[in-house]
Amino acid sequence: MSLERPDTPDDATIERTPDELAELLGDLVVGRDDHRNAPGFVIRPDTVQQTLSRLKEEAGYDHLSLVTAQEYENRYESIYHLKKFDDPTQEVSVVVPADTDDPVSESGEPVFRTADWHEREAYDLIGIEYDDHPDLRRILLPETWQGHPLSIGYDKDRPQIATLPEHANPLEDHHRDAESDTMFLNIGPHHPATHGVLHLKTILDGEQVIDVEPDIGYLHRCEEQMAQNGTYRHQIMPYPDRWDYISAGLLNEWAYARAAEDLAEIEVPEYAQVIRTMGAEMCRIAAHMLALATFALDVNGDFTATFMYAINDRERVQNLLEDLTGQRLMFNYFRLGGVVWDLPEPREEFFSKTRDFLDQLPGSVEEYHNLVTSNEIFQMRTIDTGILPPDVAKNYGATGPVARGSGVDYDLRRDDPYGYYDELDWDVVTEDGCDNYSRLLVRMREVEESAKIIGQCVDLLEDWPEDERNIQSNVPRTLRPDDDAEIYRAVEAAKGELGIYIRADGTDKPARFKIRSPCFSNLQTLPEMANGEYIPDVIAALGSLDIVLGEVDR
Amino acid sequence: MGTASVQLFPEFISETLGLPGVIGEVIGALVAAAVVGNIVLAFTGVAGPWAKRKITAAFTDRIAVNRVGPFGLLIIPASAVQLLAKELIIPEGVDRPTWDLAPIVLPASALLGFAVIPMGRLGPVNLQLADPEVGLALVFAFASIASVSLVMAGYASNNKYSMLGGLRAVAQNLAYEIPLIVTAMSVVIFAGTLQTSAIVGAQTEVLFSVAGFDVPTWYAFVNPFAFVLFLTANMAEIGRNPFDIPEAPTEIVAGYQTEYSSAYFVLFYLGEFVHIFLGGAILAVTFLGGASGPGPESIGFLWFVAKIWGFFLFTQWARSALPRVRIDQLIEIGWKGMLVLSFANLVLTAVIVGVIA
Repeated sequence: MSLERPDTPDDATIERTPDELAELLGDLVVGRDDHRNAPGFVIRPDTVQQTLSRLKEEAGYDHLSLVTAQEYENRYESIYHLKKFDDPTQEVSVVVPADTDDPVSESGEPVFRTADWHEREAYDLIGIEYDDHPDLRRILLPETWQGHPLSIGYDKDRPQIATLPEHANPLEDHHRDAESDTMFLNIGPHHPATHGVLHLKTILDGEQVIDVEPDIGYLHRCEEQMAQNGTYRHQIMPYPDRWDYISAGLLNEWAYARAAEDLAEIEVPEYAQVIRTMGAEMCRIAAHMLALATFALDVNGDFTATFMYAINDRERVQNLLEDLTGQRLMFNYFRLGGVVWDLPEPREEFFSKTRDFLDQLPGSVEEYHNLVTSNEIFQMRTIDTGILPPDVAKNYGATGPVARGSGVDYDLRRDDPYGYYDELDWDVVTEDGCDNYSRLLVRMREVEESAKIIGQCVDLLEDWPEDERNIQSNVPRTLRPDDDAEIYRAVEAAKGELGIYIRADGTDKPARFKIRSPCFSNLQTLPEMANGEYIPDVIAALGSLDIVLGEVDR
Repeated sequence: MGTASVQLFPEFISETLGLPGVIGEVIGALVAAAVVGNIVLAFTGVAGPWAKRKITAAFTDRIAVNRVGPFGLLIIPASAVQLLAKELIIPEGVDRPTWDLAPIVLPASALLGFAVIPMGRLGPVNLQLADPEVGLALVFAFASIASVSLVMAGYASNNKYSMLGGLRAVAQNLAYEIPLIVTAMSVVIFAGTLQTSAIVGAQTEVLFSVAGFDVPTWYAFVNPFAFVLFLTANMAEIGRNPFDIPEAPTEIVAGYQTEYSSAYFVLFYLGEFVHIFLGGAILAVTFLGGASGPGPESIGFLWFVAKIWGFFLFTQWARSALPRVRIDQLIEIGWKGMLVLSFANLVLTAVIVGVIA
């Protein structure tokens, strides 16, 4: 079947039992703290680099998916969720407790570049300090913020008064470099090409970019804390729609649904899984259409016809999603244990509408190839610009079309199957160009694969026996997962690996709810792509990353 | 001065009004200039708030303005009121009066160019203000003042995006004005004169006949290669896709005009549109037979208008369909490609004309 991955005879891919891993780590391990998804090894805070590099070099755990930080009554804790790009079902958690009075922990950044931003966020929101971190500053909140909002002792009534001079002045003296004759330029937070409120601190030499530093946090809405204040059963599900709000709602909802269902051991009826799969792929098409549209805006200019064409196609999917969910943007369609309601009646009409859409889609894609990808000027602009080599992509934890555009054959739908994906016939798309062009091409080809999946789902749903159309399993009215149960689960969202870490404390609300945003990790690669390029290429590279600030900042 | 057959517009006015001597010449010239200037400004008035929106909408499957008046036409006065009523924000640290002069220089330079354009006849009136022997050189000289305005705006705005836009404008205009003018020189070699009316006059013969239809000796037909070169350089000269680099809204916000608002912004936009129309007019005069077309000579002006609007349409088409090139690619195309090709064209034309004539 097409989902089989080619065999790579490599020591790194060999699955090791938890005991073998414990043996590998030897006396680095001071205890065990197993999670629902993976064995967890507790280590001392000064052996983080040693442990991570041993797991990476000798056991092949080359993907640091997420760093979760949290505060307990008696300790701080950082968890490094490790996976393998070759087989993401092999997971391991490295649990690093830190002292309450002096929360210092060694940084994992020298082993995994992606830890840079993740640890900055942990420092910002929780207050753990990371030794040997290259640049430990706040990342989401302003530099002048007082206190760490997700720590236990945080005083939320404390006024946050910061006078103007205390704010970081982007025009400080150190930006004026007389010798190298460079120019400092703020791109954003209000700029036509930053796709929201992103701030790029750029240093230019003429038109060439010497250094670019993404400054995020302008759209931080405390999504994690809001989820921690909601009940599992109903109150959390509307939030995921608001992370990647570019019509990828169902994909995000699935991330929460998958984590919470595995945590509370809820079964999902097969019929509901097929509906979920279909809806999620519709969302993926809508999201990729918008990615194409905005990328054309960035490269062609703001009067390009491609933008409206792609928006029109997205509109067709949106209409289908509206029929399915009753909403166009914030769907809130998934429920733990299934979906909220069945397909719209009359079902035949919905199926024929969906089929009409699928029938016209190849024509549209053909048109985009004629208009965009086969245009010589477009190729001149995008091929061999914004290069992201595969090893760099992996080191930064890049996933989704960004990684697949760099030839990293990694797709959770196939590699860590959920929903109904492993029953269907479709292919994972990769391109080897590692450039802006490849990333766009991956998205355009993925649209076709998604259409294949939707088509198969429609066939399945149409023939589904009427008395077996079970859209929800029986789920208790109030969910109280076991005390101290921890789980990290990810799904393949439009932008990449969207993961949720939940720690339960025996109540009906999560004690810690952590979101692994694919855009957050992908955006971190921008300086790698941008340095040495011209301004227009940086804009194109940013567009090809297809970030949504709602998901980056959460 | 003037061609023997047709009277120029100012002379026509002073004669019609019966004003002799110097006073008549002055009044005739002023009235004629006002009429021509207002015709051009009326074009931009229609193009900016209405036609451009409608055209872009047609390219992108939309409807665009349709609520204010028939076909949304009253959006034109509405936009004018709206734009002029906006607050003129003068940023701190702008270099005045340079900053104030830039938005005047741009439309003025483009409007001046129309002084020597033979816009054809409308009834008994020949819509041409002046017809000096160096007409074509003059119109290029006027048009290239525009880049000075862009540099002024870019430099005086005290804004880095404006600065980048201004610098890009200089680089672009340097790279493309030379091929533009060198290609125009090949037309001059054909016509044997720089006088605009004479260049148009040289394009009225029949090149060949196809099925009873006479193809005229428009230089676009005589030398299509030069026409394509000229068209490309012209797109760069007026800064439209794929060469809208000085503005490049998704890269450098709005380039040199980032800091301009209200009336100054309108003046810049106006200037850009007049510049597009002037580009179309130059193209029509040098390659598309000026005001010539089927029908009597007395409706020539309508053909001329159709040609410059056709060029406007072409720029909007390019805008909707084509990506923009990068600044280094633009310079490369200009200096390594267009310049070489335009000189090759010039030499070849000179040799051919020398051998035949």
